[in-house]
Amino acid sequence: MKLEINNVRKSFGTKQVLKGVSLTAESGKAFGLLGRNGAGKTTSIRILMDVFPADSGEVLFDGKPIDYSKIQFGYLPEERGLYPKKKIIDQLIYFAQLKGLSHRDAAASADYWLERLGMTEYRSKRLDTLSKGNQQKIQLITALAHDPQIVILDEPFSGLDPVNAMLLKDVVKEEIAKGKIVLFSSHQMNYIEEFCDSIAILNDGQIVLSGDLRTIKRNYPRNRLLVRSEQQEEIKAALGSCCTEDDNGALLITLQSPAEKQAVMQNLTDRFDIDEIKVFEPSLNDIFVEYAGAQK
Amino acid sequence: MKQFSTILKYELKNYFTNKVFVGVTVFLVLAIAVAMFFPRITQTLGSGETDEVMDPTSLPTMLVVSDSAENEALLAESFSAAFPGYRVVLSEDSTETIQGKIASGEAECAFVMKSLTEYTYYVNNLSMYDNNTGVADTVLQNVYRISSMIGSGMSPEEAQNVISVQIEHETENLGKDQAQNFFYTYIMIFTLYMVIILYGQMVAMNVATEKSSRAMELLITSAKPVSMMFGKVIASCIAGLIQLVAVFGTALLCYNLNTTYLADNAVISSIFDMPVDLFVYMLVFFVLGFFIYAFMYGAIGSTASKLEDINTSSMPITVVFVIAFLVVIFSMSSGNVDTLLMKVCSFVPFTSPMAMFTRLAMSTVPVYEIAISIGILIGSVIGIGFISAKIYRMGVLLYGTPPKLGAILKAIRNS
Repeated sequence: MKLEINNVRKSFGTKQVLKGVSLTAESGKAFGLLGRNGAGKTTSIRILMDVFPADSGEVLFDGKPIDYSKIQFGYLPEERGLYPKKKIIDQLIYFAQLKGLSHRDAAASADYWLERLGMTEYRSKRLDTLSKGNQQKIQLITALAHDPQIVILDEPFSGLDPVNAMLLKDVVKEEIAKGKIVLFSSHQMNYIEEFCDSIAILNDGQIVLSGDLRTIKRNYPRNRLLVRSEQQEEIKAALGSCCTEDDNGALLITLQSPAEKQAVMQNLTDRFDIDEIKVFEPSLNDIFVEYAGAQK
Repeated sequence: MKQFSTILKYELKNYFTNKVFVGVTVFLVLAIAVAMFFPRITQTLGSGETDEVMDPTSLPTMLVVSDSAENEALLAESFSAAFPGYRVVLSEDSTETIQGKIASGEAECAFVMKSLTEYTYYVNNLSMYDNNTGVADTVLQNVYRISSMIGSGMSPEEAQNVISVQIEHETENLGKDQAQNFFYTYIMIFTLYMVIILYGQMVAMNVATEKSSRAMELLITSAKPVSMMFGKVIASCIAGLIQLVAVFGTALLCYNLNTTYLADNAVISSIFDMPVDLFVYMLVFFVLGFFIYAFMYGAIGSTASKLEDINTSSMPITVVFVIAFLVVIFSMSSGNVDTLLMKVCSFVPFTSPMAMFTRLAMSTVPVYEIAISIGILIGSVIGIGFISAKIYRMGVLLYGTPPKLGAILKAIRNS
């Protein structure tokens, strides 16, 4: 399965929110949609889910215009919220039924997911008696209970403790393994880096960078080495001005050209006691700040 | 369609599990039952006391001071007949003594005659409902006329016959009897008014609550706005109708259980004698009128970010509705429901449910006018339903200050 957005434009009043956005997400892979606040992420997601139409452009599924009556979406909105005063099981069944499940299937699926997320004891409680993290798990169930082909998770990890974050990671990995299209939107770069094979960075209504994350990283000039060693001072002294230290205290050595890297690495390991040496790749955080931070 | 029925069921369940809704319904049912059984209860409880009331010594005393000896007998007889609730006593006391007796409570009131056409009425506290002087005036007029006729040579029987001659008449009503229809029309209009205001606000609150709790973020991606809007409005209409059926059903049941006690009450029996065709019209106008306002309230609810905004935002609708209500009520009480204003109102969809129903109940309306009015109303309900679904779709995703009406209309045109 392949989900594409082609050259989508959208304005609200005089404000142009999306200025020709194109994305491609494939099944069995997670896609990360990044962008600063107000970059147009939520608008893109809403157009994708047909909450409102785009001014121009198209949404394709397997190359054809998407048929919303056949394709099911699961959505975890960034603005969380269900019915605070209602019983949890009732709401879960209601939302699954809205997505087309029969009452019986909806109830079975809701119970499965409550069990899977360790929430069975809250089945008959009112939502507002739960902690924020647990409410979020309930909301996650509404995104997954109807077994959608496309799962859209907007900031799924915010508000979760490390144990719950681990649980969510496992669930997301299962969904990806089932061959679903999983679309992430987050500011927490470490999670995106961990899950997403491909990313797109949205800035001011335009895609400023998109593609396979590994390729993006590899495409950065490979002319820097990252070195950790007990003898960093000596290395600095030996190599001179091409050495700098990064935020984490590791040594960054800038080479004349990428071709030298093999020789320099050999040279350093021979001469010094090296803990770690590798070609420096920028983190997603660095890439994000570079693309989304500079402009605007 | 399946989505719509899911929403409808869920919303209905919300009403029937809502403690306030259930509580209010039960309270209304009990209240109406008590009201309908009231005459029976009082009659059963009061039956032992009726003999005591008949005892003349327990009646309040009314003193009558005659102007002359020859009128005494006539006055005593006429006053006793005219005031069955008093023990009429002839007196020859002076004015001061009479005033004293009244002040001390020995007598309740007194008529001191100067002549057959002039008297002074003494009473301790003049009650708002005291019409003794009115009765006395009539009595004295008759006494005066009879004694004059006797004086000019008639026999007392002849004079009595002239005074008490009865006129026979019959009324052939070819249209509606306004006096009889007034009460149920009034009840229907007032019920419609209450239900629309209450349920309309409930629909608006319901939408705004979903929005402020952010459940909307998920709902709007799970269900079509049209299904949401129609599901909510129709659910509230069904809930409202069920509440009304419970209340009026109880009233009808209790009426049938107590017919013997209530039959004397013309108002109550006129209400339960409503013709079937009028009842059907009532249902039609009720449901359509409910829809048109509930849709607008729903749309208003979707533009409010906070529950507090609803009251201000829904003000224009409420004002239109209250004006429609007042126009109808004033026309009803004036007795002329076929004025130009009422005719216009009975075709305008926002006022026609009340105006047209009133005209139907209290006047004679040509069938084509009814058909046109209902046609316009149905068309408007569908149109307003879809427009409010559009407003809803836009409104629910807007947070912050509610948009101005102009901005909403512009956005609808653009979409």
